[in-house]
Amino acid sequence: MKRNKPLSRRAFLKTAAAAGAATVLGLQYARWARASGPVGASKHRWAMVIDQSKCTGCGYCTEACRAHNDVPPTIAWNRVIASGEVAGRPTFLPRPCMHCEHAPCVEVCMVGASYYRADGIVMMDYDKCIGCRYCEVACPYGARAFNWETFTGPNPAVPEWGQPEVPRRPRGVPEKCSFCVQRIDRGLAHGLMPGVDPQATPACVVACPAKARVFGDLNNPDSEVSRLLATHPYYRLREDLGTAPRVYYLPARQEAES
Amino acid sequence: MTARLQQLRRLPRFWLWVGALGVVLAVAAAAGVIVLWKGLVVTNLNDLVPWGLWIAIDLSSIALSAGAFLLCAAVYLLGLKRYQPVARTATFVGLIGYSMAMLCLFMDIGQPFRFWHALIYWNTHSVLWEVTMCIMSYFTVLVFETMPIVAGAGWFKRRWPRLAGWMSGVHHYAPFLALIGLGLSSLHQSSLGATYGVLKARPIWYKPDLSVLFILSAAAAGPALTVLASMLAARLTPKARVDDSLLERIAHVIGWVLVGYLYFRFWDAFSMTYTYWPGRNEGLDMLTGGQLAFNFWVGEILLGALVPAVLLLVPRFRRLPWLRMVALALVVGGVVAYRWDINLVGQLVLLTYLPTEIAARYTTYTPALIEWAVGAGIVAYGLLAFSLGVRYLNIVDHGQPVEAEAHPAPAPALSPAAGD
Repeated sequence: MKRNKPLSRRAFLKTAAAAGAATVLGLQYARWARASGPVGASKHRWAMVIDQSKCTGCGYCTEACRAHNDVPPTIAWNRVIASGEVAGRPTFLPRPCMHCEHAPCVEVCMVGASYYRADGIVMMDYDKCIGCRYCEVACPYGARAFNWETFTGPNPAVPEWGQPEVPRRPRGVPEKCSFCVQRIDRGLAHGLMPGVDPQATPACVVACPAKARVFGDLNNPDSEVSRLLATHPYYRLREDLGTAPRVYYLPARQEAES
Repeated sequence: MTARLQQLRRLPRFWLWVGALGVVLAVAAAAGVIVLWKGLVVTNLNDLVPWGLWIAIDLSSIALSAGAFLLCAAVYLLGLKRYQPVARTATFVGLIGYSMAMLCLFMDIGQPFRFWHALIYWNTHSVLWEVTMCIMSYFTVLVFETMPIVAGAGWFKRRWPRLAGWMSGVHHYAPFLALIGLGLSSLHQSSLGATYGVLKARPIWYKPDLSVLFILSAAAAGPALTVLASMLAARLTPKARVDDSLLERIAHVIGWVLVGYLYFRFWDAFSMTYTYWPGRNEGLDMLTGGQLAFNFWVGEILLGALVPAVLLLVPRFRRLPWLRMVALALVVGGVVAYRWDINLVGQLVLLTYLPTEIAARYTTYTPALIEWAVGAGIVAYGLLAFSLGVRYLNIVDHGQPVEAEAHPAPAPALSPAAGD
C-alpha cells in the first residue's frame, strides 16, 4: 500500500529513542522482578543425606511432614517408595523435594513463584503463583503436588505427629517440601544449628526412628552431612539430567550392618 | 403446539443457529461457575496429567489463528494487495482465536483471578513468560488491526461517527502492525512448541523440533481455517461474498506447507527410532501403536496431512469447492489432533527416578464431562463471534474494492482522521 508520508528523520529518531528507552526499562524491570537472589550469598548450603541401608519404610517422615507443614492427607511432600531388594531385604527410597541446584521448576516458572533462596533451598511463593502447573510438568521427581481442592477441616496428622508451623496453602497452587525453612530460619535466629539441634532441623529428620535421615550444612566440613559424604559412596536421583539435587542417598549394600 | 413449531420454522436460520450456540454457552457458563467455585478437583486432571483438554483447545486456538499474521504479512509486507479482504477475515478469526485461548487459560489455571500476575511478575528465563508476553502484545495488535473493520460497519459509523473516524485511521499503520504481528507470532507460535521442547524430564518432548513443527503446522492450519470459514459463510449467508480464485490460490499454498510439515514430521518421528532412549521410545510407541495410535495415524497423518495435501495440490480436486472445503476441514482437524497428541504423550509416559531402573510407566487421561462442557462453550463462543462478525461487520466480503478500503474518502463527519 502507498504511505501518505515518508517517515521523517525526526520521527525515526523519536521512535528509536522510545524503543531504546523501553528496552532499558524492561531489562531493569526484569532484573528487579527476578525472584531469586544470588545463590551462594548465604554462608550455609543445606543438604540432606538419606541412608537407604537404615530406612525401614515406616513412613514416620511422611506423617511428621504432614503435621508440621499442615499438608492434607491426599498429598505427601515426602513419599516413601519401595525400591526393590538388596541381599534379600526390602529397600526404600524416601523422596522429599531434591532442592536442585539447577531446578527445572524454577527455570520454567513464568511468574518466578518458584525461586532459589540464597542458601540454595528451592522455595515456593504461594501468593505469587497463578497455578499453571508448568513446574509440575517440568519436575523429574514428582516432588510437587497441586491443591486440586481446598484443604478444610482438621489435619488427621495433628496432634499425633506434631503441630502445624506454616499456614495452609490456598486451593489452586502446587506445593512441595521446603526443607522446613520455618524451622531452619527460626532455629538460626535463636542461635541453634540446623542438623544438630532438633528444633532447627526438618521435621522428617527428627521423626525418623532409624536415623536414616541426616540434615546439615555442606559448607561446614565438620557437619554430619559433609562427614557422611566424605566417607561413604553416595548417589543422587537422575544425575543424568544435570539438576544437581541437594538430597544425597547412601545406597543399601550387601555388607551393610544390620 | 403445531403453531409454535411453525413459528419456529419461520424463524430465520441465523437465529436458530445463534440460539443453539446460546444453549451450549449457557451450559458452559454453568459448568464454568462450578469449576471456579469448586476448583479444578471437578476435572479429570491430576498430578500426573496436569494439562488436559483445555490446554489442547488453547494450543489449537492459537495455531488456528496463525492465518492472521501470515496473511497480514503477505498483504502489507510482501505487497500481495489482492489478498487484503482475506487478511481482513483472518485478522478477525485471529482475534477470536486468541480470546478463546485466553478463556481456556483462565479456566485452566488454579488461581484465575491472579492472571494479571503474569504481567507484573517476570521470570524472563521461562519460555512461558515469553509466550505470555507475546500473546498479550499480539492480542493488542489484533485489537488495533480489527479497529478499521469495526469502524467500517455502517451501523457503527452512524452511531459513533467520530470514534469510527479515529478507528478507521488505524489502517494507516497496517504495515507496522503486520511487521510487529509477524515478529510476535514467529516467536510464540514456535515457543509454544518449545514450552514442551525444553523439558528434559520428558524425553518424547525434549528436542528442538517441536518449535519448528508447531509453527509449521500452524502455518498450514491457520490459513486453512480462514479460507474454510470464508467459503462456509459464503454458502450459508448472502452477507458473505467471496472471490473464489483468491481462496483457491491460498488453498494451493496450504497444500505445499503441508508437504513441508510432513517432511519435518517424518524426520522427527523416524530419527527417534534409531537408538533406545528411555521414555522417548515408549512415547513414540504410544503414538504409533498405543492408546494414541488412531489419533496419530488417522487424525494427524492420513486425514490431517496426507489426504488434504493431495486434495489441495491436485488442481482437479482443489477446484471443486466442496472437496476443497473437506480438505481444509481435515487440515484444521489435523492440527487439533497434533496438539492433543503432543500435549498428552509426554504426560502419559512417565519415567521413574529409582536408581535401579529408569523405566517408563503409563497413565491415562479422559476429560471429565465438565471439561467437555466448558471446552464446547469456548468453541461455541468462537463460532458465535464469527457468525456475528459475518452478519454485522462484513468480515467475509471480497466484493469491496481493495483501494477504497485502503484509502477511505474522508466524510465530513470524519474530519479528525482526515488530517492524519
